[in-house]
Amino acid sequence: MNPAVPTWAGVAASLALVALAVAVAARQRLHLAREITIAAARAGAQLTAVGAVLLLVFTHGGLVGAFGWLTIMVLIAGQVAARRARGLPRALPVATGAIAAGTAATVGTLLALGVISPQPRVVIPVGGMVVSGAMAAAAVTLTRLHDEAAAARPAIEARLCLGMPADRAFAPHLHAALRTALIPAIDSTKTVGLISLPGAMTGLILAGVSPLTAIRYQIVVMYMLLAAAALAALTAARLAGRALFDDAHRLRPLPARTDEKRRAAPVRLPARRGAGTR
Amino acid sequence: MTQDSSALFTLDRVTVRRGAALLLDEVTCRIPAAACTAVTGPSGTGKTTLLRLLNRLDEPDSGLVCLHGQPLPGFDVLALRHQIALVGQAPVLLTGRVLDELRTGAPDLDRDQAAALLGQVSLPAAMLTRSTTGLSGGEAQRLCLARDLAAGPEVLLLDEPTSALDPASAQAVEQVARSFIAAGGSIVIVSHDAAQTSRIVDQVLTLHAGKLTAERARPVASLREGS
Repeated sequence: MNPAVPTWAGVAASLALVALAVAVAARQRLHLAREITIAAARAGAQLTAVGAVLLLVFTHGGLVGAFGWLTIMVLIAGQVAARRARGLPRALPVATGAIAAGTAATVGTLLALGVISPQPRVVIPVGGMVVSGAMAAAAVTLTRLHDEAAAARPAIEARLCLGMPADRAFAPHLHAALRTALIPAIDSTKTVGLISLPGAMTGLILAGVSPLTAIRYQIVVMYMLLAAAALAALTAARLAGRALFDDAHRLRPLPARTDEKRRAAPVRLPARRGAGTR
Repeated sequence: MTQDSSALFTLDRVTVRRGAALLLDEVTCRIPAAACTAVTGPSGTGKTTLLRLLNRLDEPDSGLVCLHGQPLPGFDVLALRHQIALVGQAPVLLTGRVLDELRTGAPDLDRDQAAALLGQVSLPAAMLTRSTTGLSGGEAQRLCLARDLAAGPEVLLLDEPTSALDPASAQAVEQVARSFIAAGGSIVIVSHDAAQTSRIVDQVLTLHAGKLTAERARPVASLREGS
């Protein structure tokens, strides 16, 4: 057994850290002790279940099982990204399609070029990172596109009134949304290793791999995350750009996003004790 | 209502809903060609909606809008919008420079043509190289009108084009409207200004709560004499 990996006794001992967090919450009267306990229990149960299913896929599922796992991840990620841009027409198929395109192109290229090995124990973790990066980029793109389309309706309609097709009328706003979506992936690529040691590299170092070998993997990870973000954002922007307009090149009515509605709701201040009495 | 090819637009029992709100309720009317038609009525009665139906920026939930007797969906929508320009109430500028702004609707416009367009809306030709950011509201509105004229439309849809303008700018816009009609064009204008309506308009449609409540027409010739 790898001495860097904690034993089950070690995992149980780390519950002391959860107890510490609960104690801090209780002492500060944050009313978060129950939530921290539930979160810790959920994390333990979820990861145990995932570990068991992964073991099953690694042992018996083969590559078909690995791609099945990736498909489920893409579907879940699509739902998460679509929830961020709920006011956008056809948000769910757009988000899922974008994440699927980003993931398929990136993982497909890595496999085709022989950069990663076609084994479930490689495809699933690498694919998971790609799905996660694609999901973040798609969510930001769709949220920004919705906001741009809603805020810039007069400018978009002014262009449409000049006889421009929908894609030209929306192009400046689509580019702005894409730039915003890609900046986090570009920034994290620029600063990798300087601010914190990235996950894949940390995992390999903990597993006893030489740092100079670990960085090779991390470099590939950073490049694939850039590609996944760019492809997912571009696909999301193209698909959403079409969904925002109808066949007559009209910008569809856009309901406010769910989180925007919540923000716009009137704030009710709690009644002050003793208010009105002196 | 029979389809009338002599009219510019005909609306036949046109209804527009937005959720529970009824914006236009079975509106039937005829808008003549080579004339200026005003749409009046209190705020929120569907005037802007009616205007937006005419270049297919909005679609009726029921009823039919025809251009020269042909239903609007039968036309290529992009060609239709080149032909029917809509100028909104608030000016929306799309570029950073006056010349670029004029070229938004007509990319091949040369400097002389651009200067002539500025002259049409009573703006100086020297403005061509200026940035659009420092323009006053009146200048911006006239520039928007010039930008729409650059594409050579046959119909101008004007949504309260002078409501936020100073008297000089309003007069310039009215002059453009008169010249446009004199050159054979057609205008549909939403206006609250009774004096303006009496100066430049040939027909008045009055809306109230989405319904057409009055349709006043005067012989075009007498109006030309009056103006």
